[in-house]
Amino acid sequence: MPNKKMLLSSSPHAFSPVDTPRIMLSVVIALVPATAYGIYLYGLPALGVVVTSIAAAMLSEFVFRKIIKASTTVGDFSAVVTGLLLALILPPSTPLWMVALGAIFAIVVAKEFFGGLGANPFNPALIGRAFLLMSFPAAITTWSMPKGLALAADAVSTATPLNMIKQGSTLADVAKYFGATDTGAFYRQLFMGYRSGSIGESSILLVLLGGLFLLGIGVVQWIVPISVLGSTFVFSWLLGMDPVLGILSGGIVFGAFFMATDYATRPMTQYGQALFGIGIGLITVLIRKYGGYPEGVTYAILIMNTLTPFLNKLRVKKYGFVPPPKPAKPTKEASK
Amino acid sequence: MSIRTFRGGAHPPERKDRSQEKPIERITSVSQVVIPVNQHFGAPIQPLVKVGEFVKAGQKIADADGRMTVPVHASIAGVVKKIEPRTQSNNTEGLCIVIEPKDPPEGEAAQEFLQPLDPFTCSKDEALARIRAAGIVGMGGAGFPAHVKLAPTKPISFVIANAAECEPFLTIDERTLIETPEKVVEGVAIVMKTVNAPEGVIAIEENKKHAIPYVQKAIDANPQVKAGMKIRVQELRTKYPQGGEKMLITAITGKQVPSGGLPMDVGCVVSNVGTLCAIVSAFREGKPLIERGFTVTGGACKSPKNLIAPIGTVVADLAKAGSIEIDEEALRKVIFGGPMMGVAVPSYEIPVQKNTSGVLLMNEQEATQYEEDTCIRCGRCIRACPTAITPALLAIAVEAGNYSEAEKIGLLDCIECGTCSFVCPAHRHLVQRFRVGKQLLRALKQKEAQNAK
Repeated sequence: MPNKKMLLSSSPHAFSPVDTPRIMLSVVIALVPATAYGIYLYGLPALGVVVTSIAAAMLSEFVFRKIIKASTTVGDFSAVVTGLLLALILPPSTPLWMVALGAIFAIVVAKEFFGGLGANPFNPALIGRAFLLMSFPAAITTWSMPKGLALAADAVSTATPLNMIKQGSTLADVAKYFGATDTGAFYRQLFMGYRSGSIGESSILLVLLGGLFLLGIGVVQWIVPISVLGSTFVFSWLLGMDPVLGILSGGIVFGAFFMATDYATRPMTQYGQALFGIGIGLITVLIRKYGGYPEGVTYAILIMNTLTPFLNKLRVKKYGFVPPPKPAKPTKEASK
Repeated sequence: MSIRTFRGGAHPPERKDRSQEKPIERITSVSQVVIPVNQHFGAPIQPLVKVGEFVKAGQKIADADGRMTVPVHASIAGVVKKIEPRTQSNNTEGLCIVIEPKDPPEGEAAQEFLQPLDPFTCSKDEALARIRAAGIVGMGGAGFPAHVKLAPTKPISFVIANAAECEPFLTIDERTLIETPEKVVEGVAIVMKTVNAPEGVIAIEENKKHAIPYVQKAIDANPQVKAGMKIRVQELRTKYPQGGEKMLITAITGKQVPSGGLPMDVGCVVSNVGTLCAIVSAFREGKPLIERGFTVTGGACKSPKNLIAPIGTVVADLAKAGSIEIDEEALRKVIFGGPMMGVAVPSYEIPVQKNTSGVLLMNEQEATQYEEDTCIRCGRCIRACPTAITPALLAIAVEAGNYSEAEKIGLLDCIECGTCSFVCPAHRHLVQRFRVGKQLLRALKQKEAQNAK
């Protein structure tokens, strides 16, 4: 026996090759189609927003962790995911300094202040957007027209379909505004992504593609997206709104697959996840119907994030669960 | 035939290909054996021999009174050289009896076995006494006394032969099924007779499908089956920890062993393939448990193979004798057992004992160590946990020292299979925490119970 030291460790001695950086990277890959399409639709400004957001997120994480003398975690790609997600839910015309500010706020305040990866109670990208929306409401609600879209009104800035519905337009008006002949064609147009909106949420098709990719490789599970979309559909219909438009417009599909499924801020147990998703759908619809904003996915997810620790208490029954013996009911003699 | 399984689990790379084609080799001559005195789960026992004494193969060399004790026998004929503490395969020091081979004195036999006993005509008490006398423990890993397991206090409807062999690398059970299926089937029949069970099931994972025809043939040829005993093969999905006792029972019967309960609470007795073969030998040949089969493999083993060797054979001696070839340069980690639940030991100067199912000699790449990262709350451990105890949440409770919450979540229901730590993308030491936590919680409860008195 040579004098070489053998490694000692407690079992298991085998590990799955799926590690944190690989998971984060797969989210980035899933977002590539939607990102590329957004850049195609809105051109250089969109590219600028994406690059600025990612760079600001990574840099702020690196610098902040250096300042507090913590280990460098940029290598796990989580900051890239946060930066990219934030960029994709901003209007393409957002000034770049605002984008950078939002990304820094998302990373430093929403994530690192709470302890970094996995410890943040709120989705950092959504906090970044909410912060910008409250600080600069005009800029964050100014929407650009996609390249080459024939306009009824000729303007550089425009409204999103949900904006117009909120202001009292009928579905037919909105369809006409976006150059569609009837509502069926308009639905198809929305699905393919030819409309105004945030950079990444335009094309439902590409967002779904990314989402299904993540479902397929097991990075996200179906419970959250399905319950979010299902409850949005049902509650829209119950409140007398067009449920198909409710799904196809706005960021609910993007939110369902990429925001609500954020590991750190969604519940970990399956019952908790189902309730979480249903709650997001309900709050989104309530905000769209009665709230001051045309779109409510951001706040719906953030509100449900607050409930995550409680929803985590809804565990499935453990293997071999034996109900605890019920305390014996006091007999009549004893109670006398 | 439907393929059955349990909820959860994971599928670590099997790595069985290196040794699964290798027929079992029998090691007969060794330069010494180092036999740990305590190889069972239960009360400790004491040596019965002195240094310098001649012992025959099969002679009882350690025993004690008590229900949870199992005697130990000399595995070779020779002279007791030392009785001293040595490092055992569970990486703790324990009293060992060192025997060097020597021819017996004139006119004496080299071995001392028990009288053969017909398991199907003897009484239940005789059968249990024989199983204890032969020193049989659960050979799958836990080392639980077999005579206790085979004396259930509740009616048994299933005897399950655990041939799942869900641990990666190990192939000894697979080879046993192919080479001596008749012994496995007879073992099931003996256990069925002993616990009075109406049905026997031999549970085999899908990746050992090719062994099923051999087993089926042995079942059809078995005299007890011909006389009406019901034994069948059940194919199971290849998934870790399929061979965990509770998971196996759930896969086959659909029932769950109640929390804190035993397999007999759902009418099951589960025995490992190796144990069944040892039981057959104990009855038919009167041979105590003095040898066992195991797999020697791993990236630093140039000659992966399946062996049967005397209990107490030191792995280093096997290498010296040329029975196995070890790549010293590449060797980084030695594990007794499989990679999921086995114990890492500081050297291979360690003896094979009754519950050693394999010896893994791992190279650099197989023994990669990972830094523990922060939990990203992905929930993989929760989906993989076969006992559904939400490891991520349990780890938080254990780390916080909140043992009442940990117990409620199910700390004591953890079977320590390590699936949570295997799937964790942040390489969190989940099962490792639960192992320590379980002991602390048990100690805490004991203290509380004492205070209550």
